[in-house]
Amino acid sequence: MSLRTITITVNGMRHEVDVRPNVRLIDLLREDLALTGTKEGCSVGVCGACTVLVDGRSVSACLTLAVMVAGREVLTIEGLAEGDALHPLQQAFLERGGLQCGFCTPGQIMAAKALLDERPHPDDEEIRVAMLGNLCRCTGYYKIIESIKAAAGDVAARRQEARA
Amino acid sequence: MSATRDERQLVGTSVPRADGADKVTGRARYVADLSLPGMLAGKVLRSTYPHARIVRIDTSAARAILGVHAVLTGEDTPKIPWGFFVPDQYPLSVGKVRYAGEEVAAVAARDEATADRAVRAIEVEYEELPAVFDPEEAMAEGAPRIHDVTNNVATHFRIERGDVEAALAAADLVVDETFESMLQWQAAMEPIGCLADYQEGKLTLWANVSGLFRARNQLARALALEPGEIRIIQPAVGGGFGGKSMDDNNAVICALLARATRRPVKLVNTREEDFIGGRPRPTMRIRVRIGFKRDGTMVGKDLRVVLDNGAYSCKAPAAGGVAALRHDTLYLNDTVRSELFVAYTNKVPTGAFRGFGNPSAEWAVEQAFDIGCERLGLDPREVALKNAAGPGRVSPHGNRIGSCELHECIRRATDLIGWTEKRAARKPYRGLGLALSAHVSGKRHFYDYDGSSVILKVNQDGRVVILCGEGEVGQGATTVLAQIAAEELGVPYEHVSIMPADTDSTLFVLGAFASRLTYVAGNAVRQAAAKARRELLVSAGEFLEAHADDLQIRDGRVQVKGVPQRAMTVGEVASRRNFRKGGEPIVVTGTWDAASESHGKDRYGSESGAFSFCAHAAEVEVDPETGKVTVLNYTSATDSGTIINPVLAESQTEGGLIQGIGYALTEGFLMQDGQLLDPNFSGYKIPCIADIPPFRHEFVPSYEPTGPFGAKGVGEISMDPVAAAIGNAVADAIGARIHTLPITPEKVLAALDGRETQR
Repeated sequence: MSLRTITITVNGMRHEVDVRPNVRLIDLLREDLALTGTKEGCSVGVCGACTVLVDGRSVSACLTLAVMVAGREVLTIEGLAEGDALHPLQQAFLERGGLQCGFCTPGQIMAAKALLDERPHPDDEEIRVAMLGNLCRCTGYYKIIESIKAAAGDVAARRQEARA
Repeated sequence: MSATRDERQLVGTSVPRADGADKVTGRARYVADLSLPGMLAGKVLRSTYPHARIVRIDTSAARAILGVHAVLTGEDTPKIPWGFFVPDQYPLSVGKVRYAGEEVAAVAARDEATADRAVRAIEVEYEELPAVFDPEEAMAEGAPRIHDVTNNVATHFRIERGDVEAALAAADLVVDETFESMLQWQAAMEPIGCLADYQEGKLTLWANVSGLFRARNQLARALALEPGEIRIIQPAVGGGFGGKSMDDNNAVICALLARATRRPVKLVNTREEDFIGGRPRPTMRIRVRIGFKRDGTMVGKDLRVVLDNGAYSCKAPAAGGVAALRHDTLYLNDTVRSELFVAYTNKVPTGAFRGFGNPSAEWAVEQAFDIGCERLGLDPREVALKNAAGPGRVSPHGNRIGSCELHECIRRATDLIGWTEKRAARKPYRGLGLALSAHVSGKRHFYDYDGSSVILKVNQDGRVVILCGEGEVGQGATTVLAQIAAEELGVPYEHVSIMPADTDSTLFVLGAFASRLTYVAGNAVRQAAAKARRELLVSAGEFLEAHADDLQIRDGRVQVKGVPQRAMTVGEVASRRNFRKGGEPIVVTGTWDAASESHGKDRYGSESGAFSFCAHAAEVEVDPETGKVTVLNYTSATDSGTIINPVLAESQTEGGLIQGIGYALTEGFLMQDGQLLDPNFSGYKIPCIADIPPFRHEFVPSYEPTGPFGAKGVGEISMDPVAAAIGNAVADAIGARIHTLPITPEKVLAALDGRETQR
């Protein structure tokens, strides 16, 4: 298969890469760009471990071809913290026990980011609906919900500060 | 002595996980994230037949593909069977295959696509053999013989304490029921995987296994190497639940490929392979007879467990032993008989999963107990309180119970759910269920050893580094162990780090199983920390011109009691002691072995040094139109002794509950002739975020004298009685009993109609 040259922006950095048309976004991220924070759990788009944001919307990187994101902006778990300062979601998952083994965590946090960007104060039902596609075998989800709620408060507070 | 209960700074606080920052930023490196120069990709060819003789394997076409470095079959292996309890499986098939999914050949190639092509180019000619998929059919005369053992029975025992038949004959009521559990896959979000490198006679593996040293011994056997020729390093592990305890062939095959190619090889299961080649919790068919007096006193129990081993033994024989015996730790009855048959079938081999034999046994016995209450017209809560064991009790199989707050657990779990009020105001198609469990804190299973050893050093900057080989599979063990060390030493939690498990740099330990790390390794860590504290105090006494007994360590500073300004930091003491003529570092070991006993043929002895207890209560609603079961409320109360880190312990408890709800309601594979249909999360429904019920839980106040700061095991008990509690609640809701797992809507509808389906 012939190579195609595409330009994509990942975590704010523009890349020009040569890819085969059948290469998945997850492989581009993990192998070509060495961004291994995005995890592969099922390869069929059911578990959500590979969730990343493309132009702000959450997608499964295992079901997305690299060529489909040409010219678009991809955000992965590695792009969430600002320097050493964790994103409120990362801080909340860390403090409230929103993770154990951590394998689903990058996907959980990215899916939660897409939710909070759209709905800064989600109720339980909105959290459940938004996070349906992200499986976790360790936590039983209770502390994931708690982490997202805590981060929602924190994100809102920061926005308020920024406005003031 | 160290800090008294009131002075404790860290034990009982929810410090953030030691590995948390790496995990929320994507920095944590799991095996799939690792690479080495020249690394090859491994792939496995698996049998599609459940039972077949291998007539011929032709690998020539695969070998001819550009970029293929090795194609291995059983002929290229030492042909030594391995396995923890019954060595009966080969790394790659020798002569025949015994289940669909068995590893027949393996490839190492320059990349995954090439390895895939090579696997497809391998030709295997099979002669299909008659297969058997039911353990009781497998034990019958004339059944196909799977291994060279009589009646396909891998393990059998029969234990009787007292005269069970006489007790049952004298009972006012005898319940006699047969229940069947179901294969359950651990389904950790990270699949099983390994990176192996063989250089200059040394095999190094980065493998997501728990129990590194035991894995190393098994690898050495299968590969005909000495254990010292193998080094296993544990990367971040994405969940285990028993499924990564080296019962499968992934690491063995990866090592064979690395040895054959002299190149690093990475072999990571696909999700499908994790299902078809994993080692799920075995199915057990359990006939249980319980005799009661009219007042609910249990007077005798008879258990017959037939365990479907699958094609190879792995840890299922031991899980069967637990299913047959552990339950007798819960109640005061001393008259018990247990018989276990572990029978081979041509299905996926089975292994260890959180709870081990308990969830399967509880599913049967705790439902039979509930049936007894129902037939006697008694409240299960009162009957549980009447029969429940307490502190100081010795079970009929010799389990010596120390701390035990089981009665309080029963009261709290039922109070939290509103048991008495709801039973008094019943609603149609709603039901309440109660179930109990007891679990070990470590178990004397291997090498007549139930201990742990660590090395602890105090660096010149005062930072404490612990070399501990027990490992971290996600449960939070390293965080809890660091808390214990920091508490005992009097240094900040952030000053303690636990190095990743590595068989070359840590001492021999058994690893994570049987809820043992907080209790067993916690004691070893605490002892090491106490020794290091003593050395720090003696040296500081010299420098501060004070007697060691008049000093204390608080927040990383060694100070004269009552004169806190006369002080040095731990780092100052450590460096001043080291950087002088004849100076020496602070390096100590801590080692501790529980007061448990190995089981001989009589299966008698205290299997663990301490026991945890719990009571669970479920409230369900059944939709009579669809048969759907909704868990409206769930409560539990647990005695795990002192809780070292409440958030981590709660998270374990919540995760265990939800795995239990999966076991009860949704997790079951459609199987046809030993084949899994749709082996992925699409076909195997683990609970998602929408499936979790309102849940209230308490750890009841308890203190285990033999545990570190009073702690006992936490990890597994939360999953043990869940299916039974829900089964009892469903029976209470619909007036009919479901006897097989999972409790699907079609079974519920059938039960409502007065008939029952088998699966």
